[in-house]
Amino acid sequence: RAAMEAAELRVGFVGAGRMAAGLAQGLLRAGKVPASSILASAPSDKNLDAWRESGCRTTHCNLEVLQESTLVFLATKPHVLPGVLQEIRPAVGPHHIVVSMAAGVSLQTLQRLLPAGTRVLRLMPNLPCVVQAGAIVFARGSSAGDGEATLLKNLLTSCGLCEEVPESYINIHTGLSGSGVAYVYLFAEALAEGAVKMGMPGSLASRIAAQTLLGAAKMLLETGEHPAKLRGDVCTPGGTTIHALHQLEKGALRATVMSAVEAATSRARDMAKD
Amino acid sequence: MSVGFIGAGQLAFALARGFTAAGVLAAHKITASSPDTDLPTVSGLRKMGVNFTVSNKDTVKSSDVLFLAVKPPIIPFILEELGPDIEPHHIVVSCAAGVTISSIEKKLSTFCATPKVIRCMTNTPVIVREGATVYATGTYADVEDGKLLEQLMASVGFCTEVEEDLIDAVTGLSGSGPAYAFTALDALADGGVKMGLPRRLAVRLGAQALLGAAKMLLESEQHPGQLKDNVCSPGGATIHALHFLESGGFRSLLINAVEASCIRTRELQHLADQEKISPAAIKKTLLDKVKLESPSLSLASTNKVSLFTNKNPSSKKN
Repeated sequence: RAAMEAAELRVGFVGAGRMAAGLAQGLLRAGKVPASSILASAPSDKNLDAWRESGCRTTHCNLEVLQESTLVFLATKPHVLPGVLQEIRPAVGPHHIVVSMAAGVSLQTLQRLLPAGTRVLRLMPNLPCVVQAGAIVFARGSSAGDGEATLLKNLLTSCGLCEEVPESYINIHTGLSGSGVAYVYLFAEALAEGAVKMGMPGSLASRIAAQTLLGAAKMLLETGEHPAKLRGDVCTPGGTTIHALHQLEKGALRATVMSAVEAATSRARDMAKD
Repeated sequence: MSVGFIGAGQLAFALARGFTAAGVLAAHKITASSPDTDLPTVSGLRKMGVNFTVSNKDTVKSSDVLFLAVKPPIIPFILEELGPDIEPHHIVVSCAAGVTISSIEKKLSTFCATPKVIRCMTNTPVIVREGATVYATGTYADVEDGKLLEQLMASVGFCTEVEEDLIDAVTGLSGSGPAYAFTALDALADGGVKMGLPRRLAVRLGAQALLGAAKMLLESEQHPGQLKDNVCSPGGATIHALHFLESGGFRSLLINAVEASCIRTRELQHLADQEKISPAAIKKTLLDKVKLESPSLSLASTNKVSLFTNKNPSSKKN
């Protein structure tokens, strides 16, 4: 199958919530797809106003999205999805590429509810997609090939990191990076509180905390060094950093974080079974 | 070159064994002395062919390099006793935790204007020639004197020169370190036994695992964190185990241990400097034996340093 030219691509979103908006913004900002080629559907106008402001087209009719688009993102809440799939099934054809963003809905389920042979992929983004610093993983269904994977990856690197994975990694991605964003917010809050305790005003502390996380992450990504090595580089013998790290180790921070990722992943797996 | 050990305990034994095994020194060029002949290490030293004597003075007379291998609280007594026999050519190497070069030089200065003093911190695996040793040279020890010691100690493991103010930290890390490792190995073996291994095999495998890991780290450019990652397959056995270690605060326990040992070393030094060593810290019999060798110690004298505050050093302890 030939890879589609992004310029000819007509992209549709069934569901127009935050995650969908984040991906669409990424596509638009990177200039990958013109706004006029994006059509989004939602039951009410509540979410659709922002799309229209960006120049995208909107509708209240899910079927219209299937009729007008070739690449279709399913971005509804998971419990709503089976009903939506029933509704759109008649309009799904071999020319479509269907990408589900619904947490916990497996490729097997998607393929069962769509016509046989439909090219289906499953995607798990995270919140910072809305600022184009997201982490996205996707897995392909049995009828999706290299062309579809390459297309999706090319389009979505505009939103941050985008990697193809085996489906079994998707729940782990949830625990690591989907929920992981919340762990980072918690850590940032705690850092700032520490600073406030030591006498710094809160808003300044918060901004510095965020910049510290951003800077550290950037160094990790750009140097490619092992985090343990980067950590060691900051630790002057007998200095402030090693004293602080000792406190973190005493609090078993590492184990706690590991447990958090484990808990979120397990929960994602459990929810998928429901 | 001949080497002498004041003290014939674990440290003297380990070093003597290491030097002779390395072939840098013949056993008959080594002398060790202790007033206590009941120490188990004494017979070990004799069997090695080391010259053993009860006279510390004899050791000094027959040695070029003199290791002070006694416990830290004993050092002041030894220096008082042997001070008159120390000559400018002697290289006095103190292995006592926490005892500073300046405190040794101060004691010896009443007897010798330019005593060569080197402070050293080593560890017991010198016995199998895998010791970890650091040293700092005193005011009158030359570069060559340091290099001489370094050659000796390098024959029994790793040896490097450091600033003296780091030596307490070294004590906490590699001085005490083998004890942490033995504790870990005992526990690892328990784990193996719990899961069905015979004890001897469990001990052997545990020790080999640590030996191998240490060797990999020493020969690798990589960070230990990276080497750890290399062992952890996703979702596998090792990462599950590591999670338990982290939950138990494994890392912080080790940091705490090194810190505690270092701090205690400094405390002991501080106590020694203030000469507040409790009599209980020194075995009565040992103290008496040392005093018998040096009549000058048992007389109260305004010139001599008082070893116990508010007490007459000549009075016998009950």
